[in-house]
Amino acid sequence: MRHTLLEILLLTIPIIANIGFFNTKLLKALSLASSSLELIISLLLYFEIPVKGIFLIDNVTISFLLIVSSIYLLSVVYSLKYIEAEEIKGIVSEKLYYVLLNFFVASMIFSMIINDYGLMWVGVELTTVASALLITTEYSEISLEAAWRYIIIVSAGVTVALFSIILIYYEYHTLTVTSILSSQPKDSLIIKLAVALALIGFGTKVGVFPMYTWLPDAHSESPSPISALFSASLLPVAMYVLYRVYEIYPLTDLFVALPTLSIITASIILFKQWHIKRMFAYSTIENMNLALIGLATGQVFGAVILLLAHAFGKAAAFYSSGVIIKTFNEKKIDEINGLYRMRITSSSLLLSSMAVTGTPPFGTFVGEFLILKTLVQSGFIIEFILLVIFLALIFISINYNVSRMIFSRPKYDRLPKEPRLMSLVSLISSIVSLGIGIISIIWGVIG
Amino acid sequence: MASDEALLIETIIQVSAAILLSPLYQGIYEKLKAFVEGRRGPSFLQPYYDIFKLLKKEVVVTENSSFLFIYAPYVVFGIYLLISFLIPVVYPSPIYLTPTVDFLGGALLFSLASFLKLISSVESGSNFVALGVSRVLSFIFFSEATLITVFFGVALITGTNNPYVTLQYLTQDVSHYLQLDHVLITISFFMLWLFETGKLPTESPGLSEMGMIDDALLYEYSGKLLGILKWGSYVKQYLLGSVLLNVFLFPWLLQTGPLGALLDVFIMFLKWLLLILISVIINTTLAKLRLFKVQDFLAVSFILSIFSLIITVLIG
Amino acid sequence: MVNTQLLELISASIIVSALYIQGQAYFKPAIYAQAIQSALISVLAFYLGFALSLIDYVILGIIIVVLRSFIITYFLFRGLKAKPGIRESTRGVASELVVNLAFFFLAVFILYYFVLGRIGLTTEAGTATLTIFSFILFFQGLFLIVTRRSTVAQIIGFIEEENSIVLFGVLTVPIPFLIEVSIFLDVLGLVVITSLLTLQKLEHTRLEELMG
Repeated sequence: MRHTLLEILLLTIPIIANIGFFNTKLLKALSLASSSLELIISLLLYFEIPVKGIFLIDNVTISFLLIVSSIYLLSVVYSLKYIEAEEIKGIVSEKLYYVLLNFFVASMIFSMIINDYGLMWVGVELTTVASALLITTEYSEISLEAAWRYIIIVSAGVTVALFSIILIYYEYHTLTVTSILSSQPKDSLIIKLAVALALIGFGTKVGVFPMYTWLPDAHSESPSPISALFSASLLPVAMYVLYRVYEIYPLTDLFVALPTLSIITASIILFKQWHIKRMFAYSTIENMNLALIGLATGQVFGAVILLLAHAFGKAAAFYSSGVIIKTFNEKKIDEINGLYRMRITSSSLLLSSMAVTGTPPFGTFVGEFLILKTLVQSGFIIEFILLVIFLALIFISINYNVSRMIFSRPKYDRLPKEPRLMSLVSLISSIVSLGIGIISIIWGVIG
Repeated sequence: MASDEALLIETIIQVSAAILLSPLYQGIYEKLKAFVEGRRGPSFLQPYYDIFKLLKKEVVVTENSSFLFIYAPYVVFGIYLLISFLIPVVYPSPIYLTPTVDFLGGALLFSLASFLKLISSVESGSNFVALGVSRVLSFIFFSEATLITVFFGVALITGTNNPYVTLQYLTQDVSHYLQLDHVLITISFFMLWLFETGKLPTESPGLSEMGMIDDALLYEYSGKLLGILKWGSYVKQYLLGSVLLNVFLFPWLLQTGPLGALLDVFIMFLKWLLLILISVIINTTLAKLRLFKVQDFLAVSFILSIFSLIITVLIG
Repeated sequence: MVNTQLLELISASIIVSALYIQGQAYFKPAIYAQAIQSALISVLAFYLGFALSLIDYVILGIIIVVLRSFIITYFLFRGLKAKPGIRESTRGVASELVVNLAFFFLAVFILYYFVLGRIGLTTEAGTATLTIFSFILFFQGLFLIVTRRSTVAQIIGFIEEENSIVLFGVLTVPIPFLIEVSIFLDVLGLVVITSLLTLQKLEHTRLEELMG
């Protein structure tokens, strides 16, 4: 049993933290403790890999686990100040917020470490159940609508993936990941169909082309720590599950074509974007699809680096836009100006926007570089050309908007007050993203 | 192979039964309906009296009507007469002229008749008729589609579009009759029949102008022409109803041979009593649908027929 | 031995129930129709269980009928609390039904000739061709979500989709219990959340802020 102790702890700690539900202060403390413990356990698990049994943890899993647990920690710290009891009057109270947050993280971890395709699906669906109400925390007509779209589009999409699970079971008569992956690869149409359906199904949650419309809505309307968790953890978790299915039978062409299409459409929509958080949501679509291309072409290292750096960078972007929205009470990019007077926030916003658009030497740049290199090596020339063009377009539109917000002349003389803790969290997060890039470059130069 | 004389006798019996007895069924229907409603009602021979009276009267034609207005009723009646040769309305095996067209051809002839009726009644130039025509047109695009789909469906089930083959196939074995696609298509065709013959819940026949669908077309006709058109619609009701009975609802019991043909007339009478009973029950239990809901009613029947088609093709 | 005609009949009635929901503007009958639809699927499972003498199917049937027909129906009604006889303004049942027809007609034929006809599913009960019903139901659910604006109708569309997958599972191969039950519980969780949302917001329209 010693071998699964850590994993079980990993799963149960966020749930145990919820016993403090009767007292807000206790619950906050417990959530903080649980998130720190999760990060420590994830680091400890690094020395245990590979784990095979009820749970499956290998090199890829552990990096995804690290992403989830570290963003969990950052988001909890950020929420301590961001979620104020008097501001949220709706379905979700302050206590319920933390309870759901902990459940949400537990369900994400569950869907990653479980060694069973069926239960992975269950986990992905559970994340929807746990997170849907979180979107409505800042109660408004619009957030209700966004939550509803999230529920109905995502669950209707993920249902398609269940077809794929049934087909996998039909073919292998088992759903255990390790035994399916270690068995002889089957070249049957049924498996091809299953993998393609998984791309549509789980792809809904990753943000792949036909059904990513929920993504900007949910990201823009949920409170910033939740937006960060969505963008930095939830989507990678869904991608991890998708990757596990992809490993059964690599349909590389399809897994490159659809994400390319997603990036193209996202960049076109991004070109005229007026809402600060929606802008970052579309950038999430771009990064996720790029990482998916990386996983599909076999550039797992690049994809992991990209996801890691993007997680911290995007979390920072959402945290700092949360601060901005709170202080200015304004979401429109055109109406936000003169940010340079908020030193910490503006620097973290600038750093994070550079991070998510893949500016060297950020980690995302290293990841994107590796992925694009592998793409060319695998012979996807047309896709490569398209991607380079549209990635540049995304780079320009995001950085133009962000620099406009920061360096423009302030409209009002009133000096905005900066919430210290929240700004610091976002700055730390963006610096981590920079650090990942520098370390990986140094490592690449040395190695 | 039956001799030519026998075939001739069978033909004469089928066609004359279709033409001559069709008003009788309308009379019985009216009488039974009146009985259920607690009225004494007109004699069951009333449709005959009406037709004779109208045939003797003179015709009034509006000034701006063209020849179409005058000749169309004869053509329409002729088409119905032709159809009575084609489909098994009395006698269960082919007669003279039957090989001219198939099931689909029958459906197209029905469409032709209703098209002629529409176009000639518009000729009168009356506003009320124009209203009625637009009303009919807004329903007929469903009902004609259903009619054709239903006949397609039957054709696909048996692999041929000869109604007589369908009849034989159904009577061979009960399991053929109870096939899912057949059941669905029967329901669909029954709904269509209710609409085509102006029964509740789609239309409440009578002189109330608000709910009129089919009768509005005859508004400007008078005298002999009206008589012929009325007779024609009785024949149409008989033809569609008999197809419903013989090919869909109740395909059994029909006899062959010249004597059998005579017997068939009587058997058809009994079958029709059954159908009349069913429609009287529907008439007394359902309320009339609002006019724009008739489309929904027809849409349901259309969808059922298509659904049956899908089942036939994909599952067989 | 399995009587295919009986299976066909039940599957076809499932589709008819879906068509009924599509044509229904009032919420109450639609919710009941959803319960009946789930019950029909469980009947199918029971029948296969007895015909093939497999206990798996029987238990599955019981789970479906309890979770889907009763508990989910209960929660859906709870969401409608104090709003009896409420309806959604639909835009012409006839046109909606015909578009629906064209949609699933095309989708099913494409699926049949390009996918199902080629992959060659074979099942113990010989029900491979019947899986086409589950796809029809799936497209019905999808179409219901697309055409309606109310929370209740959309969630019923989602349940129809889920039902279609259960139907697919029943007709091909029943997946292990633990997973099956967790799937059902997931759906239940979603419905509970929906009932909370229904209390707040019943209709969904386009919003200026959620564009682009």
